[in-house]
Amino acid sequence: MSDLKQIPVVAKETGKERTNPLANVFDELIRFAQARSMFMLHYCTGCGAIELPPAMTSRFDMERLGIQPMVTPRQADILLITGYVSIKTLKRIILTYEQMPSPKYVIGICSCTVNGGMYWQSYATAKKLNEYLPVDLYIAGCMPRPEAVIEGLRLLMDNIKSGKSEPWKDYYQRYDYYLGNQQHLFGDDWQTPTDIIGEAEHFGLMGPETEGEHTRLLQQHQQPLEPHKMRLK
Amino acid sequence: MMTLITELFLMPLVAFVIGLFMVLMMRKIGARLQRRVGPPFFQPLIDIIKFHSKETQISHGLIHDIGIIMAVGGYIAAETLLPVPGMDGIADKGGIIALTYFLMIPSLGLALGVGQCANPNGSIGISRALTAMLAYDIPFVIVIFGVSWHYGTTNLVEMVNYQQANGWGIVEMPILALAGLFTLQGIMGKQPFEIYVAPAEIATGPMVEMGGKYMGGLFIMQAFQFYTAGVLYTTLFLGGGENWPTFLMKIFIVVSIPIMIAYMFPRYRTEDMLRLMWKWPVIAGLIGLALVMH
Ligand code: SF4
Repeated sequence: MSDLKQIPVVAKETGKERTNPLANVFDELIRFAQARSMFMLHYCTGCGAIELPPAMTSRFDMERLGIQPMVTPRQADILLITGYVSIKTLKRIILTYEQMPSPKYVIGICSCTVNGGMYWQSYATAKKLNEYLPVDLYIAGCMPRPEAVIEGLRLLMDNIKSGKSEPWKDYYQRYDYYLGNQQHLFGDDWQTPTDIIGEAEHFGLMGPETEGEHTRLLQQHQQPLEPHKMRLK
Repeated sequence: MMTLITELFLMPLVAFVIGLFMVLMMRKIGARLQRRVGPPFFQPLIDIIKFHSKETQISHGLIHDIGIIMAVGGYIAAETLLPVPGMDGIADKGGIIALTYFLMIPSLGLALGVGQCANPNGSIGISRALTAMLAYDIPFVIVIFGVSWHYGTTNLVEMVNYQQANGWGIVEMPILALAGLFTLQGIMGKQPFEIYVAPAEIATGPMVEMGGKYMGGLFIMQAFQFYTAGVLYTTLFLGGGENWPTFLMKIFIVVSIPIMIAYMFPRYRTEDMLRLMWKWPVIAGLIGLALVMH
C-alpha cells in the first residue's frame, strides 16, 4: 500500500460523548497552535540536508512561520528525512521517530526518499520510506530548493490546520505492517526500546492491525531492556 | 485580606504575560541581529499551547512530574515577593533573603526531575547548571549584601521607597550595579554562560528528555525567569516602579542588555565561567562593597 489515500483511518473511540459546547473551539485553537508552531528535529540524512541551513537562516527565515530547529526527539514535531536512507541510518530514524511525542509528522525531502532515486540499485539503501514510517509529505527533487522545502512545510501546515495530517495514528493502528517491513530489512530479532503497543493501548490508539504475526514475532524475540553496565577501563 | 488574595493571584499572571513579551523580544532581537524577520507576535504563547496539546505525554516517573512543578512553582512564589507598581503582595514580609532562596528552588527542582530521566546528557547538563549556579551566586550574594547595607534594610518595598526619595541605587553604587549586571547574565543563563544547554553538544542538557507538557512548563518557566531577573535588578538599582509605563520600560531595557550581549558571543566552558565569575564580578563587587561600607 503505497498510496496514502488507501490507508484505512480508524476513528478514535474515546467512549464518551463530548458535552462541552466549546470543544470544537478548543480543537480549532489547538490545531492552529500545532500548525503555527512546528519544531523540527535536527537529524538530517543524505545530501538534501544542505538545503536546510539557507531555509533556516536569513535568506528564507523559517522562524517567521514558527518553524524552529530542535535537537532532541522529545521536543520535536517534525522529523525531516533529507535524502537517501541507508539501512543503518533507517534503524536510527525509527528509534528517533518512536521517541517523539505525537502528533508527529515525517517529511521526506529529496527523490531518494520517494523511490530510492539514484540509489535505486544500491543494496544498502531503503527505497520507499513510507513502508517503514508513516510519511506525511514528500518533497521531490534532487535536491529541492529551499523555496520548495518551505512550500512543502506550508502544505503540511494547511493539512494540520484542517485536521488532515494524521498518519502518525497510522503507525499505532497498523504497527504490524510497519514492523513487518522493518523485520524484513533488519532481521527477525529487531526491537526498539519504545513499547509501541503499550503506548497505543495507553493513549487509546489501538487499531485492528496494531497486533499481528509480526508483533508476535517481536514478542518472541524481545529481550527486556537492561541498563548498560558501568565499567571503567 | 481580599486585596492580598487578588494580588497574590494577579502578580504571577502579570509576570507571565510580561515574561512572554520578553521571550518574544529575545527572539526578535536574535532574529534582527542575524538579519532575519523573526517569529510572529504570538509565537511564544503558541509554542506553549502546542506543547500542552501533545497527545502522547511521556513521563519518566513521579519525580519527573514534581520537578517541573517545583521549577515553575518556585518562580510563581518568587513573583509574589517582587514589588511592582500598585501591588506589593507579600514583598514587605519576605524581603530579599527569602527571594534569594526562592530563586534556587527552580534549579533544584529541575535537577530532581532531570535526575529521574536517567539520560546522560541531562545529567551532564544539570551538573553544569548547578556549577553555574555556584559560579554566579557568589557575586550575587556580595551584591545583595552591599545593596542591603547601603539601604539599611533587606525589605524590597523599603528599598524602592528609599530610592524614590533619594535617587537611584545605580547612581549611588555604580560599581555594585556593574557587578550586578554581570551576574544577571549568569542568572538568565544567556550565551557566554549557557554551557549547560549547549544544544549541539549535549542536546539542550537538562531539557533533553522533556517533551510535551514538560517542555511547555519549561517554556513558562523561561518567561518567569526573564521577568524575575528584570524586576529584581530594577528594584535593587533602578528605583523600582513608580508607575507602570516607566517600570515596563526599565525592566525591558534591563532584560534586553544581556540578550544583546548573548547573541554576539559563543559560550565559555564551565571552568572558564567559574573562573570568570569568581574573578571580575567578585572583585568589582568587593570594591563596590568597600565603597559602600567605608
Ligand atoms: S535526491 Fe539527490 S540530493 Fe537528494 S539525497 Fe538523493 S542523490 Fe542526494
